Amino acid sequence: MNNFQYVSAQTPGQAIDLIADKNGRYLAGGIDLLGEMKDYIISPDLLVDVKAMNGSSFKGIVAATTKAPMHVFDAGRHSGNLSLSGGGDTWSLSSLVTIAEIAAHPDIRAKLPGLAEAASEVGSPQIRNVATLGGNLLQHSRCWYYRQPDLVCLKRGGTTCYAHEGENKYLSLFSGCKCVTAFSSNLGVMLSALDGGVVFEGGVGKDAVPGPLVSLRSLYAKAWTDPVTDYSLKGSGLIGGILIPNNRTHNAYRQQSERHEFDWALVSCAAAANVKDGKIYDARVALGAVSPVPYMVTEAHHYLEGQTLNEETASKAADLILKDAKPLAQNGYKIPLAHTLIRRTLLALNT
Amino acid sequence: MTPKPTPPTLDRRSFLKGLGTSAVAVATVQVGAMADELNKASALPTPQGPAAVPVSLTINGEKKDFQLEPRVTLLDALRNFSTLTGTKEVCDRGTCGACSVLLDGKLTYACMKLAIEVQGHDIRTIEGIAQNGQLTPVQQAFVECDALMCGFCTPGFVMAATSLLESNPKPTEDEVRRACSGNLCRCGTYPNIIKAVMKASGAPLPETNEVIRYGSLA
Repeated sequence: MNNFQYVSAQTPGQAIDLIADKNGRYLAGGIDLLGEMKDYIISPDLLVDVKAMNGSSFKGIVAATTKAPMHVFDAGRHSGNLSLSGGGDTWSLSSLVTIAEIAAHPDIRAKLPGLAEAASEVGSPQIRNVATLGGNLLQHSRCWYYRQPDLVCLKRGGTTCYAHEGENKYLSLFSGCKCVTAFSSNLGVMLSALDGGVVFEGGVGKDAVPGPLVSLRSLYAKAWTDPVTDYSLKGSGLIGGILIPNNRTHNAYRQQSERHEFDWALVSCAAAANVKDGKIYDARVALGAVSPVPYMVTEAHHYLEGQTLNEETASKAADLILKDAKPLAQNGYKIPLAHTLIRRTLLALNT
Repeated sequence: MTPKPTPPTLDRRSFLKGLGTSAVAVATVQVGAMADELNKASALPTPQGPAAVPVSLTINGEKKDFQLEPRVTLLDALRNFSTLTGTKEVCDRGTCGACSVLLDGKLTYACMKLAIEVQGHDIRTIEGIAQNGQLTPVQQAFVECDALMCGFCTPGFVMAATSLLESNPKPTEDEVRRACSGNLCRCGTYPNIIKAVMKASGAPLPETNEVIRYGSLA
């Protein structure tokens, strides 16, 4: 990797000031960052280590049941916008908690089993021990054309997406986009289903940050239209933590990979809903590894409202979610795979 | 030839400093806010490098001083800037596990950590687990179960197994496989490695020759 300067920030404010408008990057777990630097995909001049920071309002994992007073918000469900407000009941996770901590946390395993499952499917023990929540959400494309040091693909600012006509078995199923990378953050998929929000340090006023609190959907929205980006965040934007509304009783996550352990999902599915007397309400279903963003279909959520949860209704919901699929030459297999995973994940809510 | 005069540069810090002194008379509220800004700006820590800087690491309980560029990984520091070559470099991308070490007791890829960022943390390598020349139960079991062919992956697997048994002394076979999932052996000695870890835990030996488990499809 190219040479760079290193500095450890003591507070989020310091970290943001240190990056300012420099060609710098925040260093947390470093798994994705060092990988890209070693392949010369990015070459920052400055790394700002954020692991030793104090002064963030986020500390570790705070379960919703403890009525954390720090951050609460209303989810404007139709607009998809989130805004800070008083009252309410949310989970609060620092962006610096490791994937292993999320997977092992007793409250998360009990109340957010989907999130624990999504975390336990990330990488290997070595990766889960150091990789952080924030880094997992902001990881870059895993498309092998993007990661190939000798190619400058569309995502890296070139003019061609080699995947459209090339080896695309692992890439997007909803391939209307210019860049057909497949969204690869397990936690991003699960948190989208849980309707989570991302809170930025520094809050309003920073150009790089869309707002103090944005929904996961807004965080990734730009990747759908702009092939050069993985999320709607640039420069000095620093995620402090994640808020998860405690307003759905059930959640689940399933993924299918080629290997049993330490593998990316071919397709992943996350669902969250209120389930009462076998009927499903407020359902949200998100698919991973089928589009550049966590893929959600509002029509399917509307269809599920008040339905009895069974093989037939789950199958109809899967039909609705997959109706716009446009497989590439080598990834048609993802349609039946996604259909099965949607059914399994929805039916898992019933237990 | 006379050097060109450098135009005065105005960075955030000097701008705030200048402003801080001249704005005193304007408004007390503004001065307070400005002073906060000034403190924040002048308190920023100074970035180190890109040339080599002093780096101090605690490896196997011993403090070692280095002069390293910030881009030097922990793996590189161990192998090329000290004599601890037991930790192996294979993929250098956090995939194969040959460089596994324990960082504050947690299994970590040394290739994906910068040496400069692990200062003040406890680093344990393959050289640091045997005490007084006595192999650990994991190492002994690797020998007895013939859990290696070329042996290049062995230090990484031993560290993964050591880490597992420290947190879970009586693992199931599934737990052993999961704990070793971040390590690769291209000779394919997985069945014997699984046996060795089970043996080290005192469990009855599994009868398995399954090498890779493929996910079960619908």
